Amino acid sequence: MLRFLLRRLLVALPTLFLVVTLAFFMMRAAPGGPFETNRKLPPEVEQNLKAKYGLDRPLGVQYLGYLANVARGDLGPSLKYPDRSVLDIIRQGFPTSLRLGVSALTLGGVLGLCFGVFGALRQNSPADYAITTLAVLGVCIPTFVTGPLLVLVFASWLGWLPTGGLDDVRGYVLPVVVLALPQVAIISRLTRAGMVEAMASNHVRTARARGLPERSVVLNHALRGAVLPLVSYLGPAAAGLITGSLVVERLFTLPGLGKAFVVSALQRDYTVVMGVVILYASLVIGLNLLAEVIQSLLDPRVKLS
Amino acid sequence: MRPLLAAFAALGLSALILAGCKPERPLRASCPAHSLCLEAGNVSEPVSLDPPKTTGTWEDRIMGDTTIGLTQSSAAGRPVPGMATSWDVSPDGLVWTFHLRKALWSDGVPVTANDFVFSLRRLMDPRTASEYAYLLYFIRNAEAVNEGKAPLSALGVAALDDHTLQLTLTHPVPYLPEIGKHQTFYPTPQHVVERWGDAWSRPEHYVSNGPFKLARWAFGDHITVVKNPLFYDARSVCLDQIDYYPTSDAIAAERRVRRGELDTNADIQSNRIAFLRQPDQIPAYVHTHTYLGVAYLAFNSRDVAAFRDRRVRLALDMAIDRDFITRKLLRGGQVPAYTFTPPAVANYQPPPPPVWAGWPIERRQAAARALLAQAGYGPGHPLKIEIKHRNSPDPTLFMPAVQADWKAIGVTATLAQEEVQIAYQDYRLRNFQVGDAAWIADFNDAMSFLGLQQSQTGAQNYGDYDNPTYDALLAKADNEPDLGKRAAYLAKAEAIMLADAPVAPVYFYITKNLVNPNVTGFVDNAVDQHRARYLCFKGHGAAAPSGE
Amino acid sequence: MSGALLVRNPRDGEALEAAIKGRSLWDDARRRLLRNRAAMASLGLLAILVLAAAIGPYLTPYSYDQISKDDVWAPPLVHGHLLGADSLGRDLLCRLLVGLRVSLAIGVVASAVSLVIGVAWGATAGFIGGVLDEAMMRFVDVLYALPFMFFVILLMVVFGRNFILIFLAIGAVEWLTMARIVRGQTLSLKQMEFIEAARAAGLGDGAIIVRHIVPNLLGPVVVYLTLTIPGVILAESFLSFLGLGVQEPLTSLGVLISNGAISMDQAPWLLVFPSLTMIVALMAFNFIGDGLRDAIDPKDR
Repeated sequence: MLRFLLRRLLVALPTLFLVVTLAFFMMRAAPGGPFETNRKLPPEVEQNLKAKYGLDRPLGVQYLGYLANVARGDLGPSLKYPDRSVLDIIRQGFPTSLRLGVSALTLGGVLGLCFGVFGALRQNSPADYAITTLAVLGVCIPTFVTGPLLVLVFASWLGWLPTGGLDDVRGYVLPVVVLALPQVAIISRLTRAGMVEAMASNHVRTARARGLPERSVVLNHALRGAVLPLVSYLGPAAAGLITGSLVVERLFTLPGLGKAFVVSALQRDYTVVMGVVILYASLVIGLNLLAEVIQSLLDPRVKLS
Repeated sequence: MRPLLAAFAALGLSALILAGCKPERPLRASCPAHSLCLEAGNVSEPVSLDPPKTTGTWEDRIMGDTTIGLTQSSAAGRPVPGMATSWDVSPDGLVWTFHLRKALWSDGVPVTANDFVFSLRRLMDPRTASEYAYLLYFIRNAEAVNEGKAPLSALGVAALDDHTLQLTLTHPVPYLPEIGKHQTFYPTPQHVVERWGDAWSRPEHYVSNGPFKLARWAFGDHITVVKNPLFYDARSVCLDQIDYYPTSDAIAAERRVRRGELDTNADIQSNRIAFLRQPDQIPAYVHTHTYLGVAYLAFNSRDVAAFRDRRVRLALDMAIDRDFITRKLLRGGQVPAYTFTPPAVANYQPPPPPVWAGWPIERRQAAARALLAQAGYGPGHPLKIEIKHRNSPDPTLFMPAVQADWKAIGVTATLAQEEVQIAYQDYRLRNFQVGDAAWIADFNDAMSFLGLQQSQTGAQNYGDYDNPTYDALLAKADNEPDLGKRAAYLAKAEAIMLADAPVAPVYFYITKNLVNPNVTGFVDNAVDQHRARYLCFKGHGAAAPSGE
Repeated sequence: MSGALLVRNPRDGEALEAAIKGRSLWDDARRRLLRNRAAMASLGLLAILVLAAAIGPYLTPYSYDQISKDDVWAPPLVHGHLLGADSLGRDLLCRLLVGLRVSLAIGVVASAVSLVIGVAWGATAGFIGGVLDEAMMRFVDVLYALPFMFFVILLMVVFGRNFILIFLAIGAVEWLTMARIVRGQTLSLKQMEFIEAARAAGLGDGAIIVRHIVPNLLGPVVVYLTLTIPGVILAESFLSFLGLGVQEPLTSLGVLISNGAISMDQAPWLLVFPSLTMIVALMAFNFIGDGLRDAIDPKDR
């Protein structure tokens, strides 16, 4: 196990390096620059600005310099927010995004698992169809429709929850629910499919034949098999949540990193975009690794090598 | 199945708990006891609160509450004495002497003329790389200093004593009191900036001289300012605290204002204004006023042969149905533009609109078709062009209408959307045929608009208008200290330019504010400045004096 | 080798049986599918939608980019606008049909792109294994670690926005999961006796991949594909929300819905009709997918 982890971490570094390189050059290939506005910027001033951030050097030199800085843990200053470093911006935005993401994944996981198992056990029953339909609806309605609709009902009409902002815990409820809905749908679907397969598998049949109680069959044998595909969904789920948070943070005016990311990409704030990419890439790599470890723990047949 | 049931039960329970905590009052941010807090939607996150590093109105909305320049905005947006209580101008209009009041920074240190000298030198210092420095190039040697060709000490600004500031200019600037309240003119505390360097603008070091002082900056969430007891007129300030939120989504902000979570928001989605004004919506919240901004189309006459022909530009200009765009599409009270300078501009009367502006649209279309035919375009040889436009909500809404209007006179136009920044860069590089642009004045003066079409403006003169008569009239206006004569030169120049149609003005902007009717002292004005020192809440005493 | 999932497939017996019986597996599947009422109804519905999208726009009294100056925000049934008109006075019915056409096209084409790349990539990596597998899957990991939106936003800003690019960008992102699924399945398939048998019979790697691996992958691939098409349609709508989708005056379900969501209290029909259309289309895809899965996968009998 330790050797496996070590090897994986060694592989993660070049992965990260590739991601950084790809992102760096794509970002620079994009038209426009951080100092473009509708104001007339005298060439001298633009020159001053570029010199200040080293953007006047050849691209290759900038790239090597950036890599060296990142290796030292320095993500540089923001080009658009002169008083702040990229780390400042991440430090301020990431906790919110993380809380949102973790809450949504937990909620989505618990609900999705319940619905999925329930549906699989009562295959083709009205409840199963209802759950399947709900799951399909959950995937089919975009977040930017569910968001305003839920706000309309729970904030504007019923007045239970705020329409935006994060002044207390209640501010998290609607964003988390909106973010979790598609996850509930996908997870319940995956669980149901996995359960149906597992219930039909030889070793569940064997367990049943051995006369084990149904509950034990479901929980100890079938569910374990069904959870496997779910665990490998962890990485994509994280990516999905990051994407979803772009919408949710905008809809609910939340100070998360997702919003900072889109704005920075549009404004060509190169350093912030790179910083966020590095953070998210590390996160996704980490979660995929975690998924593999959990898989090996859950299923002895999965070998880590 | 028990775990399943337990999970459902837990969910039901949490739903009940949530339902149980039904609040009686709107979910507002916490406010200290016995204090009046204003929750203000500020549209964007400030890039900085260090004046020379800012260019946005969203930054000025905060800095204008914490800082007082030489002059300041009255409740109605007009320039009134600020740090300067009075000023003398030399007969040639080139030397201005400002007499400053005795006032303190929020840390108790006196504000002196030296702070202004220091701030202006810092603004022009090439190392500061201020994007807005060019605005004050009328100060003697400013341009040379900013380009690093002259020492900072060469700048035409001097402290005659602690409370007397003298500015020397390159040409008369009769609108100096107007520009004196601009964010580039805000003083920065020399003793603080020298101590902390660029980090001085962090909340823990920030020192200001205005009615409020910076208390907290939760990046991306909100900025809090609290009353500054050392402000020279602190007794007249009603509010104790203001929280500014970066409400980039106008629709979401509108919901928060409706719910009472925010008291004001400095933007409304244009095509919702008419809807919100309906009696069963929130008519009392909607505030609009003509604004110092114009939306216009630029014709690239450098690269598109057809646009070198004045008749083609004029035909396209005439065919735009501005009434439909403003009344049916935008519906917020935007005014159809037939001149480039908005009527609200101070000390100026725009020239009368072209005669065709009064014709019905059918007659205009017929005239436009005739002009196109003269230029050699018609059914057999249709004009084909691409319109590039910004992907922000308003252009996205009205550009298809322009496309349809041009189709009606036989011009085939395709639409291409771009992000705002990319669009402007493309315009500057002349990488467009027809471009949708907008201009919001830096300061309340016609020169801020007409200067765009000057030949020496270069990249930002998107239509590459180059008319020596026009340039000469503007130069004459620049050297004219008399406001009336100056306005006449400018209007003459504008009339000449409009007849040449290097650009087609479409409509004039309006200010768009949502304001809870409980907020008092909010006066709509053309510069869209609503300083918090004049604001208060109903039932909490009179609002501060208007400042005029 | 890292991450190799050495899963013994519990369906060895059935798969072998199926391989022996050859095409009769598919006859059974077809019969089962025809018996699935939800799937058949969805298939019918989808056929209607496709037909409407294909020829509908030619039958409406207005064209999709025609501005009727008197019909701005017209509610349904006013002036011959069956479903009302939008903020520019354009006929919603016609725009809806055009939007449906664009969304379906994006969904199908982008999914096809992801299918082709994903299956080729995954099957090759899984079957050949070893260093090649390691390298190919590492590449997938690298792309995976790039947040999707970032990737697409960058593609859009670097190359400018155009129709083809949306297909490619989304397809190029979606193939990653497909490749992983296919690889996992291939790994387990290649342990099976019938592959050994084929190899013993002297078939080359290429022939085995094409003739034995790919057909046996169909089940999981189809199921994933039914998740992909709606996923792609959603991804496009998400891009539209951020202002990076198809360009006006052309439209898509995503553009219509995100515009409708803005004005939902003012002109609810602009949100309701496109949303319903999208939901119906996506649900149809889902039920068809489920039906296919049940039909192809014999365990559910």
